Amino acid sequence: METPITKETLEHLIELSKMELDEAREEKILLDLRRILEYFSELNNVSTDTIAPAVGGSFNKDIVRADESKDVFIEENLIGQFPKAHETLLCVPSVFEKNEDI
Amino acid sequence: MNRDKLTIKKFHEGLKKKDFSAREVVSDYINSINADSVVKPFLSLDEQGAIHVAEEVDGIIARGENIGPIAGVPIGIKDNILMEGKRATAGSKILEHYIGSYDATVIKKLKDSKAVILGKTNLDEFAMGSSTENSAFHVTKNPHDTERVPGGSSGGSAAAVAGDFSLCAFGSDTGGSIRQPAAFCGIVGLKPTYGSVSRFGLIALASSLDQIGPFAKTVEDSAILFDAIKGYDPHDATSSKDEYGPTAEYDEEHTRALTLGVPKEYFREGIDSDVADAVMNAIDVFRKKGFSIKEVSLPHSKYALSCYYIILPAEVSTNLARFDGIRYGRNSEKNSLWDIYKETRGRGFGDEVKRRMLLGTFVLSAGHYDAYYAKAQKVRTLIMNDFEKAFDTKNEGVDAILAPVTPSVAFKFGEKVANPLSMYLSDTFTIPANFAGVPALSLPVKKYPLGGKELPIGFQIIGKPFHEKDILGLGMWYEKEVGA
Repeated sequence: METPITKETLEHLIELSKMELDEAREEKILLDLRRILEYFSELNNVSTDTIAPAVGGSFNKDIVRADESKDVFIEENLIGQFPKAHETLLCVPSVFEKNEDI
Repeated sequence: MNRDKLTIKKFHEGLKKKDFSAREVVSDYINSINADSVVKPFLSLDEQGAIHVAEEVDGIIARGENIGPIAGVPIGIKDNILMEGKRATAGSKILEHYIGSYDATVIKKLKDSKAVILGKTNLDEFAMGSSTENSAFHVTKNPHDTERVPGGSSGGSAAAVAGDFSLCAFGSDTGGSIRQPAAFCGIVGLKPTYGSVSRFGLIALASSLDQIGPFAKTVEDSAILFDAIKGYDPHDATSSKDEYGPTAEYDEEHTRALTLGVPKEYFREGIDSDVADAVMNAIDVFRKKGFSIKEVSLPHSKYALSCYYIILPAEVSTNLARFDGIRYGRNSEKNSLWDIYKETRGRGFGDEVKRRMLLGTFVLSAGHYDAYYAKAQKVRTLIMNDFEKAFDTKNEGVDAILAPVTPSVAFKFGEKVANPLSMYLSDTFTIPANFAGVPALSLPVKKYPLGGKELPIGFQIIGKPFHEKDILGLGMWYEKEVGA
């Protein structure tokens, strides 16, 4: 299908996926992914030039609903799961870092 | 009262005749779970809650009031389905301390029916796996042979029912996660039509494929459970408004008139001969009793596995982005947001989840999207078209398809862990029904009593969308015929 996935590409994917992997696991996953992607090359045998891609799995023709707010959830149950909350707000570390030059 | 002989129907009749109380039966199941240190189908138990509901049901009976068909029935719930105030780990360390903040629609329906929820059952982490070996907590064993896996990802639910730790159970099926463990454990599993059962409150794996469905000892019990949970739900945008009546009432005339198909492509490669022979013998039972059976072709099903392991990881990489250490529990003391993400996800997710997220991120990334994701979605269209054609009864099509569930019997622990691709291949016959969205029933070719030293083999009856009545009817007919 394509050239095998490289170590650099895998490291980029790990960064994109926001996760950590130790060196040994990285090696193993690289081999696994190469083997799996190679298996996918069988799809090259299928002619799909005139075929529309599938979208979702639903048989529904119309899933539009009224734009109404509904109180489905119990607020305290949701906030209780937050590691840190201020009243009904979720506390997170700063998204932007301070730039002293500005 | 013998738990191994009990079905939902017998339990219901026994309760009404006061042969036993719901509390007695529920206590018996709880005691069996607590006494077990081998099979271990459950991750958590709710003994107090279960006894409380059982006593409520006994109170209703004592007052001479009517009870519904699943009132008092002891049930196990796969731990990726939310129950308000109860742990919901999805088999993952990242959700080890997560408490469900609301009831899934299926849970609400079960509670309204006064079913007794015993606890939450084990699963492969986030339902990714075919053996339940990927659970972050413990291994669940196959009650028929404890050196072998119960299947997955709903292995805990299947082992709970097969081992008589629960009268029935619920699981989720994205690529075979109900049907494959049902086959490995010698019980009945139903993957309903996509949209027939609400997914609200099911921790998503691949949203376009996931469906909740029942495990039971008989087809009739499966139908009773399906009737209890099906129906439109405004909380699930993919829930269908299609109304269909009860499926648990067997209709001999309707069932005998159904035309059956056997897909020639499912018996050629990659299936063990003993499994193929057993499934062919099951098909012969229908043939000998006069059912009309013809060969059908599902030529693109052989590509379903490749498509699945492109489309599923793509959806996984999106769905699991929410587990970031911010909203669902944190496993990091870092101060920077990026570091919290990385450390929480790095420590919280297991190897298979990471492998699939990386694969999903790869097939969705610029430069690879067309070659993998877009291609797989086009082949998915061809797989769906094959089913549409096979079920086109106006043009030589059939009403239901008979097929194998798995290429082999339950495998031994550790046999496929090192090579994920060999593990993936055990889903090869179940994935196509998820792509087509059609209902599929997995049932044993014969009855497999515990201790019988035989490894169970199952077969599938696949139906048209929203035609669960057809496949459940055929299953009930088969059970009566072979005495299962």
